[in-house]
Amino acid sequence: MDLLLQLVANGLVLGAFYALSALGLTLVFGLMRVVNFAHGELYVIGGLFGWALTVVFGWNYFLALVVVVIALGILGYLIDQVLVARVRGQGEEPTILLTIGLSIFIANTALLIVGTTPVTVASPFASKPLFLGPVVITQARLVLVVICAVLIGAANLLIQKTTLGRAMRATFQDPMAAQLVGIRTPRIYGFTFALGATLAGAAGMLLGSIYVVEASTGGIISLKAFVVVILGGMGSFAGAVAGGLILGLTEALWGGYVSTGYVDAIGFALVIVTLLVRPYGLFSRRAERA
Amino acid sequence: MTFERNFLLAAVALGALIPLVAFNEYALHIGIMIMFSVMLATSLNLIVGYVGEFPLGHTAFFGIGAYSAALLSVRLGLPIYTTIPLAAVVAAIAGLGIGAVTLRLRGPFFVIVTLCFAEVLRLVANNWIDLTNGPMGVSGIAKPASIAGATGVQQKLWFYYAGLLLAAISLLISYRFVYSNIGRAAVALRENRFVAQSIGIWPFYLGLVTFVLAAAVGGLAGGFYAHYISYVGPEVFGFSFMITMIIMVLAGGKGTLAGPVIGAVLVVFLEEFLRDFKDLRFSIFGLIVVGVVIFLPRGLMGFIGRRHESYERRPRGPAEGGAKRDRVAPALKPAGLNRGGAADA
Repeated sequence: MDLLLQLVANGLVLGAFYALSALGLTLVFGLMRVVNFAHGELYVIGGLFGWALTVVFGWNYFLALVVVVIALGILGYLIDQVLVARVRGQGEEPTILLTIGLSIFIANTALLIVGTTPVTVASPFASKPLFLGPVVITQARLVLVVICAVLIGAANLLIQKTTLGRAMRATFQDPMAAQLVGIRTPRIYGFTFALGATLAGAAGMLLGSIYVVEASTGGIISLKAFVVVILGGMGSFAGAVAGGLILGLTEALWGGYVSTGYVDAIGFALVIVTLLVRPYGLFSRRAERA
Repeated sequence: MTFERNFLLAAVALGALIPLVAFNEYALHIGIMIMFSVMLATSLNLIVGYVGEFPLGHTAFFGIGAYSAALLSVRLGLPIYTTIPLAAVVAAIAGLGIGAVTLRLRGPFFVIVTLCFAEVLRLVANNWIDLTNGPMGVSGIAKPASIAGATGVQQKLWFYYAGLLLAAISLLISYRFVYSNIGRAAVALRENRFVAQSIGIWPFYLGLVTFVLAAAVGGLAGGFYAHYISYVGPEVFGFSFMITMIIMVLAGGKGTLAGPVIGAVLVVFLEEFLRDFKDLRFSIFGLIVVGVVIFLPRGLMGFIGRRHESYERRPRGPAEGGAKRDRVAPALKPAGLNRGGAADA
């Protein structure tokens, strides 16, 4: 029983990790329908930039976080306006390739600059263990779960309640109608991509203080993020959380009770099964739209 | 039709003659890599160019072929003349299974789910140590008996002509497919899904046939690779093979028979050229991918001029190109109609 509780706790933390790292992709892939294979690389950039600021330059953690968020926002906006905008409306294929090319470029350039050594972002949150009954969890991980919840709530509010969020949803439902009512859709695309990149970068920096960041991990982060978004259903933040938790819990329980060999395969198997049963994801109501 | 046939015949003839002028180990190695790449690109092109979907896990078939040939050769001691055809057969069976599952999905879902399949296979290759020897991979795959004791150049020459033969077979399969009724139906479907369905073309069935063929050709490439490199590890399912395949097909021109050949030659030479840039070469590779997408959206075949294809006389207007078609499509295809293959009919 104690083992189960501990595994569930580990799974929840892992789930928060997945949900947080998939948050940006929920916007860009789930809502904007850009299949962004550079998502994991944006995460890595956030982590490496955060490491450079806090460790190499010794900045304050929160100041560094603000700088990372702004920098990734600008980067995301530029990627969208300079590259993705050129192939907008040509179907998924060109954007897939574009972002794959971009991810190869970013991953290998990062490798050239920082090398293969994993790095850790310096964080004020202690790694002191907390004992909650039979379950052990570090303070930093608990903080992570809280931050994850706050970020997801904030992003959800932005999309659902603000004018900007409404403009975003309108743009992705029907770009032409959105333009007719005066929404500047190119800006909205750019802004959504920027927000997605920001969330990816913030996730990279936040998680980079608990887990390590490597220049080459972008690919697997992207893949897991796609798994989470598809499991949760397209374009829904609650779905991303659910998808992250499902993936985290399954992996933790499988790893604890069955074997550690195929842990990474579980997510992919889950996606294959999910898409077979519900071709638009577990919690998506988009089934009526192609 | 005649342009493509002449181009392919000329390419094969040129390939047969090249060792007469460039007869050294390095040149032959480049030639072998080109033959191997032609097989890979032709295989991917069948799906990207004629089904119109984008399988990011196409390495699954290449990897299955490579592992099949390797295991049949190492564990059962079968000769190369049987392992390579069997590799194609095993891959084709896998293609039937994976296609039946994945072709129910379209667009990004198809992309991701095929990628998931390749990843699962990679992890199986990594973890099923009894069968695949895990991360260590299968090594010591036998060369054909006739050249076992031969010197480097002679071995390379054997593989060069074997590769040429297999590449020619792949192109022939592709050619026969494209100019068969099934291939024409696929082109019709690609050009206008709605109209094609209205005259009774069944996308799921068509996709499945194409998938099996593409898988067989991919398996052929895998078997050839396993014997030439003499080692197969889990990385055959990895993303780097996928990326080279994609670049070859798209830079050359998808949906044409000659495009993947041109793309394969270009990419092999490009990779050799970029070797001088050491660690920078992958970054440059990434930039080239971005550049191809933006500046050569229809590949070199599209850039060179008119597409010499059977459907070249179709009316050309503002609606040409994938862009407009894709924007019109959603209105024409309610989700209920294309969720499963059966419903499509």
